[in-house]
Amino acid sequence: MKLNSIIKLSKVFGAGLVSNDGFIIDAQFTIGYDAEKFGATAARIVNRIRKSLDVEKASAIFYTQKSVFFIRETEEGIFFAICHKDANIGLIKIKIEQTLKKK
Amino acid sequence: MADELKIDSGALIFATLADVYLSSGMIDEAILILKDGLVRNPGYTLAKIILGRAYYMNGDINEALKILQEVYAEAPDSENTNLYLGHCYKKLGDNENALKYYEATLKINPENSEAKQGIEMLKAARVEEKPETVTPEKTEITVPAEEKEEEKLTPTTPEPTEVTIPTEEKVTEEIKAEETPIEEKSEEVKPEPEEEKPTEEKAEEKPETVTPEKTEVTVPAEKKEEEKLTPTKPEPTEVTVPTEEKVTEEIKAEETPIEEKPEEVKPEPEEEKPTEEKAEEKPETVTPEKAEVAVPADEKEKPEVVGKTKEEVLPEIGWAEKAEKQETPLEALDAPMRRLLDIKTVKGAFICSRDGLLIQNYYDRPDIEELCALIASVISDADESFKFLQKDSLERGIIEKPDETICVVATGESLLTVITEPKTKPGLIFVYARKIIEEIKEILE
Repeated sequence: MKLNSIIKLSKVFGAGLVSNDGFIIDAQFTIGYDAEKFGATAARIVNRIRKSLDVEKASAIFYTQKSVFFIRETEEGIFFAICHKDANIGLIKIKIEQTLKKK
Repeated sequence: MADELKIDSGALIFATLADVYLSSGMIDEAILILKDGLVRNPGYTLAKIILGRAYYMNGDINEALKILQEVYAEAPDSENTNLYLGHCYKKLGDNENALKYYEATLKINPENSEAKQGIEMLKAARVEEKPETVTPEKTEITVPAEEKEEEKLTPTTPEPTEVTIPTEEKVTEEIKAEETPIEEKSEEVKPEPEEEKPTEEKAEEKPETVTPEKTEVTVPAEKKEEEKLTPTKPEPTEVTVPTEEKVTEEIKAEETPIEEKPEEVKPEPEEEKPTEEKAEEKPETVTPEKAEVAVPADEKEKPEVVGKTKEEVLPEIGWAEKAEKQETPLEALDAPMRRLLDIKTVKGAFICSRDGLLIQNYYDRPDIEELCALIASVISDADESFKFLQKDSLERGIIEKPDETICVVATGESLLTVITEPKTKPGLIFVYARKIIEEIKEILE
C-alpha cells in the first residue's frame, strides 16, 4: 500500500496498516507519533464498531479537539491515518479511498 | 538555596527562599530571612511584597499593611501589592478599601482569581447586609429564629427589583419571603404593575395574621376554605401570578411553603380545581415533563420536603422558572431538531446521554434504545482511547455502514446522533448539527 501518497498531504501526521489484533503491518508517521499506539487504538475501535453495530467493514472518522482520526477496514487489515484538525478532511478522505482502491 | 545564601549573604535569592518557606507554611522563617535580606537590600521591592504577604499570613495585618503601603507608594501597579492590600483591608473589615484594591488588581490582571473571589465575597457580604436594614413594618412581624437563619444561609441573588421597589412593596415582599419563598423569586422575574395597589392592603393585613409557626402563618383555616371554594377570585395579595389557578396554589403554598414550588410551574392541578373554568384557563400544551414535576395532592402533605433548606430548594425554583418560559426542555429541542430532519437524506436523529440512555428520539425505529446504547458505547470507547493516546477528547464522529451513515456529535454529557443515507454529505449534517448543538447545550445543560 502506498502510504506515501497520504503522508505527503498537508497536516497529515501519519498513516498505517494494522492487523485485527493491533499489530502494525506497515506505518509511516512523523517524528513524535507512536504508530503502535495509534494502530492499537484503530484496531480497538474497529472491533468495537464491528461488534456493536454489526458492520462487516467498519469505516469511521473521529474528530477530536486536536486531530482527526481515519479508520477503515480493508481486506489487508485495518487502515488508519491521523491528521491535524485543520487539515482538509475531504481531500484526505478522497486520497485514502484512492489509495485503498489501488492497493 | 539556603546554602547559597550562606555563601553569598548579599544574594537576592533570599526572596525566593522566603517564598518557598511561605509556600510550605514556614512563615516565621520566611519573615526572618526577609527582614535580614532587606537590611542588606533595602530597595528590593519583591522582598518587601513577600514580607507583606508573610505578615498577612501570620495574622499581623497592621505590619503587613505598613510594608505593603510602602511598596504601593513606590510601585502602585504591582498586582500582588494590590491584591494583598485588598486582603488586609478585607481582614480589617474595611470593605471599601478592600474592594478598591481588588479592583485595582483586576485592572492589572483581569484573570486574577483571588481578586475576583474577594470582590465576589465582598459583594455577597453587602447583599447579606441589606436585608438587615429592615423597614419598621418588618420588625413587627415575629419571625422564628430558625427561619431567620435559613434566610441568612440562602445565597441571596442580587436582584435589581428589590432595590428599586418602594418601601410598601418591599414590606409585602419581605412578608411573603418569610411565608412562601418561591413567590418572591417569581415576582422578581415578572413584576406586574396591577398588583401594586393591593399590596398596601396586604401589608396591613399580613402582620396580623403572621404567627411564628410556618404552617399556620398566613390565612385562617376558614378563610382558606373559602378561597379554595372560589378559586377564580383574583387575590389582590398575589403579586406575580396572573392566572387564578396559581392564586389557589399559592394559598396552599402558604400552608406548605416549600413543597409547592413545582406547582407554580405546572398549570394542571386537576385534583385541586375540578371546575370547568380552570380547564379553560389551562395552557394548551400540557407536557409530560410538567406532569412529572407536579406533586400529587397527597404527597404535598407529606413531610418529605419540609426539612429542606432554602438552598436545596432554590435550584429547583430556577428550573421551574425555565420550564415556565419554555414549555418543557425537551419540547424546546423539537424546533432545532426539525430543521435537521428536514434534510432529505436524514433518516432520523436522536439525543442520548453518554452512558447510552435515550433523551429524545426523532427516529422511528423499534430498536432505538439498543442502537442508542451501542452508539454510546462505541463513542465512549473511542473517547477513552483518544484520551489515553493524546490527552484529547472526542468531539464528533462519522461511522459509515453500507446501508447508512451515523454522524455523532458530542455535546457535554449528551450525544446528538444523526442517521443518514449512505451518500449524504456529512459536512452538511455537521454544519446543521453545529448550530443545533448550541441550542441543545443551552437546554440540556
